[in-house]
Amino acid sequence: MVVAIAEQHVDTAQGPAELRPAGTGADWRGRVLDRAPFLVACLMLALIVAIYGSLQSGVFSVDELNLDTAAAMTLMLAATGQTIVLVRGGIDLSIGGMISLGTVIAATRFTDDPSTTAIWALAILALGLAIGALNGLLISLLKLQPFLVTLATWSILNGVAMIILPTDGGSVPTWWVGFASAQLFGLTSPVWMLLALLLFWWWFRATRTGVIIQATGSNEKSAFLSGVSITWVNVITYGLSGLFAAGAALFLTTQTGAGSPTIGKDYILPSVAAAVIGGVSLFGGRGHLAGTLIGAFVLTLIGNLVFVLHVSSYWQPVASGVILLLSVLASSVAEKLARSRVQ
Amino acid sequence: MSAFLARNRLIVLAYAGMVVLLLVTALFSPGFLSVSNMRSTVVLAAFVGIVALGQTFVIIGAGIDLSVPWVLNSAAIIMALLCGGQDLPLVWVMPLLLAGGAFIGLVNGVGVAQFGVPPIIMTLATNVILQGLILVLTGGSPTPSAPALIQFLSVGRVGGFPVIALIWLALTLVATVLLSKAAFGRHLYALGTSATVAEFSGVPTARTTILTYVTSGITAAFAGMLLTGYSGQAYLGMGDAYLFTSIAAVAIGGASILGGSGHYLGTVAGAMVLTILTGLLPALNLSSGALLIVYGAVILLTVSIGSETFAGLGSRFRGRGV
Repeated sequence: MVVAIAEQHVDTAQGPAELRPAGTGADWRGRVLDRAPFLVACLMLALIVAIYGSLQSGVFSVDELNLDTAAAMTLMLAATGQTIVLVRGGIDLSIGGMISLGTVIAATRFTDDPSTTAIWALAILALGLAIGALNGLLISLLKLQPFLVTLATWSILNGVAMIILPTDGGSVPTWWVGFASAQLFGLTSPVWMLLALLLFWWWFRATRTGVIIQATGSNEKSAFLSGVSITWVNVITYGLSGLFAAGAALFLTTQTGAGSPTIGKDYILPSVAAAVIGGVSLFGGRGHLAGTLIGAFVLTLIGNLVFVLHVSSYWQPVASGVILLLSVLASSVAEKLARSRVQ
Repeated sequence: MSAFLARNRLIVLAYAGMVVLLLVTALFSPGFLSVSNMRSTVVLAAFVGIVALGQTFVIIGAGIDLSVPWVLNSAAIIMALLCGGQDLPLVWVMPLLLAGGAFIGLVNGVGVAQFGVPPIIMTLATNVILQGLILVLTGGSPTPSAPALIQFLSVGRVGGFPVIALIWLALTLVATVLLSKAAFGRHLYALGTSATVAEFSGVPTARTTILTYVTSGITAAFAGMLLTGYSGQAYLGMGDAYLFTSIAAVAIGGASILGGSGHYLGTVAGAMVLTILTGLLPALNLSSGALLIVYGAVILLTVSIGSETFAGLGSRFRGRGV
């Protein structure tokens, strides 16, 4: 029943193709316009890789893939949670606080003893899930705006992180830092994580929960009227976002080897930007994790590009801002075209 | 009177909260209510208040301005660079930078109103672009000190009153007239309540939206110049704190982030509350981490009270004020 209603609402979205009503699938121009933001993101990534590859030798190698994926993975994990929340039509600013908190707990509690470290790592993930679920509950039960609730919890989590570890520092075990360079079949763990994220999404969006989240993002009222518990949707989406933020924190400590009470804020808006560059709509109901991951690659590789072009690294924010604007303009133009075709 | 209270409940609550906070702070640190301390509290609140003026307009119009930090920072740095510590260049530098702030606001507004870019993304993009450009311009090096005239505007006094407090008062009057008496205010509340209904009712929605972002660009640039005077020089990152505080001040002042309600008079109380809290925590011997926790708790508390009123009463223009 829920799925039946959901179908009506994802038909205009860039949703699962199998949920599209028959007929629109034959219209290839409509399909291209539908996926225009995603295609633009792919084009941008291809362009960046092409320029990067023509200026630097060894770009088209497994080593480079391993390196770049490791550099992008923290943002990718944070942006995965953000994508789930955006598809639901919300936004999660608290991931910044959760990432900071996760790194400081790891940097102050992890020991050389693997079992202690494993328990704390699980505790951090559980904390992320719980805090995210709490965000969802606050939003639903008190009927509050996600932007303000997660702004408030961001501040609170950041405060707790600063009390645990006032300045950057602490340490994690050496074997923990080695995680990102662990290899299997020549590919490092971040590349396998990237594949795992894509698999997760491919599975998740077809599950009942995934469909319900997307339907709620498309039209909350219809979802509610067809029997969806909005409270449950919020608890699960923000809970997952918190969980992925905690995962991002754990991965970040393998890169930095330390904790930082302020590092999380560097991931809040970039996580939204990565999703938007990848074609995820801020209005909910529309978007795919593959787009977000490409967006995260684009944002990360701009840094490499600025480096090989031998210009000031300060051009990096300028370039990412311009790319963000171009992507969002491309999607709004595509949307306008699609709308005028319908009329 | 009761009608006034019902309509402006959230604003009255914000002021009540401010008074309670003042008394509590005075309890823990007896010197807090002294004239000199109140003076410095108002001066600090004025910076938040001035930045939050534009933010209030934008939020009432159902938008958000994330470009505030680097509009502020850019104005501060460019002013310090162009003036080189001299007063005379201010004659053309100040108008130029206010126009610059207005231009960034125009870009934001046009992106949002004409191209349909979500406000978060539009203003985020202009923010990072400005950040990058200023970093390229300065190469990360420190800039010359602030001209004496701008220092007078931010730390000087006239007849015992801080000059910046008088500036803030004047801006508050202008904002109140604009929101409560002018056509712009009527258009803005209509736009924030429902852009579609406003459009069909003949409200110039695009122009009104653009004007809110232009205002925000101007107030952020103005605050940046004043803040340079206050700290004696411009430095990179000086605007970062004002993104959170400007939005928090608006929220604590009773505006809905969905638009259509709120008033600058509430934001004034919100700016005061945030600044008094900053003064309260050292008195209680608490760290800056604790301050962030208290900030978050206060925001949650205020928006919860606001949300309850939304559920209880149904009026569209509740909290519109004066």
